[in-house]
Amino acid sequence: MKDVLSKVLDVASGKFGAEYVEARAQRLFRTMLTLKEGRVEAARQGTENGTALRVLVKGTWGFASVGSLDSKVLVEAVSDACKMAEAASSRLKTPIKLAETKSIEDKVTVKPRKDPLKVSIEDKIDTNMSLNRAIMSFDSHVKSCTIDYLDLTGTSYFMNSDGSYIEQGKLYVWARAVATAVEGDVLTFSREEIGSTLGYEVFDVQTPESVGKMVAERAVGQLKAKMPKGGTFPAVLTPNFVGVFVHEAFGHLAEADLTLSGSVLGDKLGKKVGSDVVTFYDDGTVKGAFGSYKYDDEGVPAQKTLLVKNGVVAGLMHNRETAQKFGAKPTGNARAEDFHVEPIIRMRNTFIEPRDHSLEEMFEGIKFGYYLKSFRGGQANLDGTFQVGVQEAYEIVNGEVGKPVRNASISGNTLETLLKVDAVGEDFELWPGRCGKGQTAFTCDGGAHTRVKEVLVGGSA
Amino acid sequence: MVALKQEKLLSTAEDVVKSALKKGAAEAEAYVVESCSTMVGIERGQIAKSSRVLDQGLGVRAVVNKTVGFSYTNMLDDKKALEEAVEKAVSAARASKPDKDWPGFPVKRSFPSVKGGFDKRIVELGSDDLVEIAGLVLDSAEATDKRVIPVEGGVSASYGYGAVANSNGVAGFDSGTVIDCGLATVGNDAGEVTPVCYELNTERSYDIDPEWVGREAARLAASSLKAKKVETKCMTVIFVQTALQELLGFTLINAVKADYVQRNQSALKGKIGERVASELVSVYDDGLLEGGLRTGKFDGEGVPHQRTPIIVKGVLRGFIYDNYTAEKEGKESTGNAARGGYWSTPSLEANNFHVVSGSKSNDALVGDVDEGLIVYLLQGAHSSNPASGDFSVVGAPAWKIEKGEVAYAVKGAMVSGNVFELLRNVSGLSDAERQVGALVSPWVRVENVKVIGK
Repeated sequence: MKDVLSKVLDVASGKFGAEYVEARAQRLFRTMLTLKEGRVEAARQGTENGTALRVLVKGTWGFASVGSLDSKVLVEAVSDACKMAEAASSRLKTPIKLAETKSIEDKVTVKPRKDPLKVSIEDKIDTNMSLNRAIMSFDSHVKSCTIDYLDLTGTSYFMNSDGSYIEQGKLYVWARAVATAVEGDVLTFSREEIGSTLGYEVFDVQTPESVGKMVAERAVGQLKAKMPKGGTFPAVLTPNFVGVFVHEAFGHLAEADLTLSGSVLGDKLGKKVGSDVVTFYDDGTVKGAFGSYKYDDEGVPAQKTLLVKNGVVAGLMHNRETAQKFGAKPTGNARAEDFHVEPIIRMRNTFIEPRDHSLEEMFEGIKFGYYLKSFRGGQANLDGTFQVGVQEAYEIVNGEVGKPVRNASISGNTLETLLKVDAVGEDFELWPGRCGKGQTAFTCDGGAHTRVKEVLVGGSA
Repeated sequence: MVALKQEKLLSTAEDVVKSALKKGAAEAEAYVVESCSTMVGIERGQIAKSSRVLDQGLGVRAVVNKTVGFSYTNMLDDKKALEEAVEKAVSAARASKPDKDWPGFPVKRSFPSVKGGFDKRIVELGSDDLVEIAGLVLDSAEATDKRVIPVEGGVSASYGYGAVANSNGVAGFDSGTVIDCGLATVGNDAGEVTPVCYELNTERSYDIDPEWVGREAARLAASSLKAKKVETKCMTVIFVQTALQELLGFTLINAVKADYVQRNQSALKGKIGERVASELVSVYDDGLLEGGLRTGKFDGEGVPHQRTPIIVKGVLRGFIYDNYTAEKEGKESTGNAARGGYWSTPSLEANNFHVVSGSKSNDALVGDVDEGLIVYLLQGAHSSNPASGDFSVVGAPAWKIEKGEVAYAVKGAMVSGNVFELLRNVSGLSDAERQVGALVSPWVRVENVKVIGK
């Protein structure tokens, strides 16, 4: 691959005068399963080879993607990319420049304890059947269960015109269980995901039995729940919930491309946007976590990036382009889902740093509020309005966890709500998930139990 | 060009089917696609990038003892890779568990003729043409209001070819073009930042209006400034197509999929023949709609597209089916098996989900409202409960309507409720339809919607 990519880069720099070129060639192998109430819809497996080529010509980006590793095809593609960039450059106002980074030569191999390539399809089906059984047998009110499974293995070959060449093994194991429960007219819906970059051994820790029980219990528990009232209330958030809160209420705004697009954080670097107990990180180095990797898709090493310290905005997440604009260092957040798309700034493992508040203390003093236990989706906006969906939540009445509520979500504005975080717990959990921003990125979100004095709860009761 | 593609893709598909049968499959199906997508992109106020994505691939389903295996590859020109894909599909079938209800692949039915899906002019657009179109979007946005940042957008021109063949003799080829123009904008003035506003114009033929896209996207952002919070109360809400598409996509559209109904995941189960919406509401799933974004001759399994009544004057008339779910009920597939790509097996999706328009203009629909909201986009529609239809989302951007007029922009308003209650409370539909994603619809006005503001 090294020779092929070298040749392609030379064409872009030599023939077309590109200021920067990068090639990302990939061999990807996936196994996927979908089970519906234990019926295997189809056992799926397949291979893809392809290359993503990015060039900077006259300060403008050109991108080409082809499903091939063949040097003739790649040379044609990179030529295309250069010509298109040149055509677009006629309307460019400010040439794009990239921050410097060290050139790196490295080979990263994955070292799973249980390699998914060595686990048979029969065994993978059995694991997912156990998950299905744990859910369907939990309670007669559970009526349906959909399980999706994916493992992805492969290699990414990265070369750029700054002298970097990185061969990086890829490994992801992921599963999602969705269950519905029915009682009379009431239909409830719960879901949970398992995700790891370690290997198939994740199922020894997140066992089908334990995850299945969690999903089924949640679906059945919601049957007794009611819609919450709509309005402003105090809330205690579990690590599962606070993770997505951090992701949607702050994370996206701190992706420097969105900051530059006018997010409310635009002029807030170094300013206080949250209370003293708010410290956020986005960390690409957590071993085995779903959002971790060694090098991003621009060849920059992943790091543990401090975003907010004691309420003050300390940093943003950058790729080389935004780092140059801010006079900052790239943080290793440039990610592409695969060779079909270009890398953009994505989160990795995003969390609130634990402090020392005990859980009991958090509930004290709440006359009426909500205990938000697990999330179901969320969405950010540049004006700082965030939304996080609720899967499982309970009323808090006089400091005690009370009745369950369902089908709500919370909202608020970042610049107001972060100031209202008044307690952060001592525990720590990371939960896997998938983030969408035009392409999918595997991430983790989490932190410690957190109390927020005021959130807007979107109930219709 | 198209004829050559037809030859190549159909023969590849048919050869793969034959090969699978030779390797021990009792039945087989092959799906082959090839596409090219060229884009010129606007980023933060300038045209900053251009891209071309070439894609092709094969997905093969093989059945052994009523067990389905599937494999895919994108190495269409590599005979060895194609053989391996067939072998993997067969071995996946052998390793998996049988399905006693497996009905077989669809049988051969004649395909309808379909208009307006392929425009040669889109295939012929070059880089310079697309730079010019993107330039029109950007220029008209900038000319509209200086307080608006054109954040992200551009124009993309795509064309694709697809073939499906199976061991029952189904053999189909189709081609399509699409051109998509869009712009996301944000208003920024005196320290206030608006939510993201968005306009788009997507067509199967080369009939787009890039100046309108830029102008409207900027106008929305500018008029989202000086936003105020609203009170928490029930009020009339007008959902614009961009918001409605997100809401219905995660709730109603799922509820009418036969798969959801059969598996106790739909609140509409058992309600055929019952009133489920206001009698102003009629909905059809139409795979034949002229110029429709999801229009084609056949679905991802080679079953002909058709127009299926879902709700007629408020009464539930039918669901959408693929071959598997249809056979379970002794019915015929409605041609709604879609594929996410060559790497996926077919799954139930709406084609063009058509909410039939009414007779009032958009303005007249607003004119009737004493107090309400008009909502353009939603945050969090994907967190809705697809089984019950309950939703709790943020409506942004949104505007307050007072005494029949749009009064001011609203910030941070949440909208909550149940989509089936929404349908029953529809009090008006405008006469102006447009398509956003799978949804074709006018503006829809609903009474008594819970809005949470403070």
